[in-house]
Amino acid sequence: MTNESLTRDVPPNRALIEERLVVWYFLASIAYLFISMLGGFLMAFQLIRHNPFNGIELLSPGRWRMIHTNAIAYGFLANAFLGNLHWIVPRLTLRPVFSRTLSYLIFAAWQLVVLSTAGGILMGEAQGLEWGETPVWIDPVAQLGLGLVAVNFMAPILKIKGPMYVTLWYFLAAFVWTFLTYAMGNFVPQYFVCGTSAGAVGGLFIHDLVGLFVTPLGWGSMYFFVPILLRKPIWSHGMSMVGFWGLAFFYPLQGIHHFLYTPIPMFLQYGAIVSTIAVEMVVLTVIVNFFGTLKGSSRALATNLPIRWFFTGMVFYAITCAQCALQTTLTFQALIHFSDWVVGHAHLVMFGVFGQWLLGVMTYLFPRLLKTEWASPKLCEWHFWLSSVGLFTMALDLTLAGLFQGWSWAALQPWDASVEISQPFWIVRIFAGIAMFAGQVLFCVNLWKTWQQSPLNKASLKSEALPA
Amino acid sequence: MQSNTPRSDWRFTVILAFTILLPCLYGFGGKFIEFIHIFRGNTDGMFAVTPIVNYLLASLGFFCMLAWATMRGMFHDIEAPKNTFLETEEWLDHRETETAR
Ligand code: HEM
Repeated sequence: MTNESLTRDVPPNRALIEERLVVWYFLASIAYLFISMLGGFLMAFQLIRHNPFNGIELLSPGRWRMIHTNAIAYGFLANAFLGNLHWIVPRLTLRPVFSRTLSYLIFAAWQLVVLSTAGGILMGEAQGLEWGETPVWIDPVAQLGLGLVAVNFMAPILKIKGPMYVTLWYFLAAFVWTFLTYAMGNFVPQYFVCGTSAGAVGGLFIHDLVGLFVTPLGWGSMYFFVPILLRKPIWSHGMSMVGFWGLAFFYPLQGIHHFLYTPIPMFLQYGAIVSTIAVEMVVLTVIVNFFGTLKGSSRALATNLPIRWFFTGMVFYAITCAQCALQTTLTFQALIHFSDWVVGHAHLVMFGVFGQWLLGVMTYLFPRLLKTEWASPKLCEWHFWLSSVGLFTMALDLTLAGLFQGWSWAALQPWDASVEISQPFWIVRIFAGIAMFAGQVLFCVNLWKTWQQSPLNKASLKSEALPA
Repeated sequence: MQSNTPRSDWRFTVILAFTILLPCLYGFGGKFIEFIHIFRGNTDGMFAVTPIVNYLLASLGFFCMLAWATMRGMFHDIEAPKNTFLETEEWLDHRETETAR
């Protein structure tokens, strides 16, 4: 398109992007991150036998552990991604979303879903599947919400003529996948299958939620923001497309790698291992593409904080991939299955990779959304370092804990012995968590100060002061 | 449209695609044959039908999408979208600064 036709056909920026909603989604996401972290602390204190709320049913660590993971997936990550989508999709398609009113309705409905899920879990009504805990009476509403999200964002994307940028491919797929994955995990084991079969479906669900909801939205966002931050195109668009189709064909079958050595037939377990190896290659395309793009611009790591968030996330991604290569072998599974190695891996990928990227996006977008620079670049740095160092310490600590637990079990030590040797590691986890938590507190302080100096805040104060 | 992708990039992409595709097709093919044997002869393995059918349906959808995208010329000049996207971004930013003035 020429500049003239762009000026003629594309609605003004204010009509194109609902910036207020992007801010709301980001704020909701940060709020759930805090709620989730508090749940994590409660469980962590329980494990070192210092639960401050012993005997209070509503504060039971078992329930708050479910809130911890549920609020991360549907509160922190989903809200941050929805904010991202409201920024990215109109800019890439040059068309607004299907309906602004629908966008606000989805925002309200989604918060209702996440909060009532937390309420349901606290009241003891959780469904018995990790990340599928959402009580049965909320499932249809959540499913409807996901359908509406798909309609709202797919409408502008499907109007595009000609080759699409990789980000839109990922987003298109994510809308369909998330809808189907949610249905599979929340309805199939509940109403249609049971026993080992339900176990197999549960395995597919947990992993598909990571790979078909979080991953495509995360990769799509990365492919959008990194070229903008570095002011140069990604290294190879062709390779990014190989990654996309690879994810589409190989991801869905690998969930059963969570259930190696179970009564699920061996050919399915081997199938999951083979597809896990394939997905390793697919993730490599993303890592290679990122570092290929960064080549020649590494100075940006010192001067450009959002790119540093992406870089750190990508380094953590490479580490999780290396872990995956080990985890997917039966020999290594025998050692680390059920141990804290897996918990370390989960934190590394959920916060270390996708959380870091999303916080990088927020660091880049908040000044644009609030029309002012960050009040304190120093606090931004503290946010980065506390989050990254805290997370790395937690992941390393839990990885080691997992190995010691595995060796203890392999040596046929009594269960209690493995709990005893875990204590120092679980104590370190709390300190690492405090660092991560402190990082987010500083982020909020900085955000508040930035809002105080924002022209948007001044304008709203002025309009409130005007006589009616 | 003429592609302006360097040949070395192309070669790398094709090699990577094959490194991923061939071993996986081999692995999946073998496992699928095993699955059919179980399906025919052993009722205990029948429950595996649910995840497999899930997977096959999803993959079928993606094959249709891949065919549709290829026919619409989505991969014709495969590197072009990465440049056009940055150009429109620049234009959007420029317009925003102009409006703000
Ligand atoms: C204040 C920091 C945090 C603390 C103290 C903490 C603590 C915990 C604890 C105690 C568990 C349960 C482990 C078990 O069952 O043995 C857990 C699980 C988990 N946490 Fe966190 N967490 C924190 C932050 C986060 C963040 C920021 C994320 C993601 C963005 C996250 C994602 C997860 C996930 C996905 C699991 C499930 C792991 C599994 O089942 O294998 N956590 N966390």
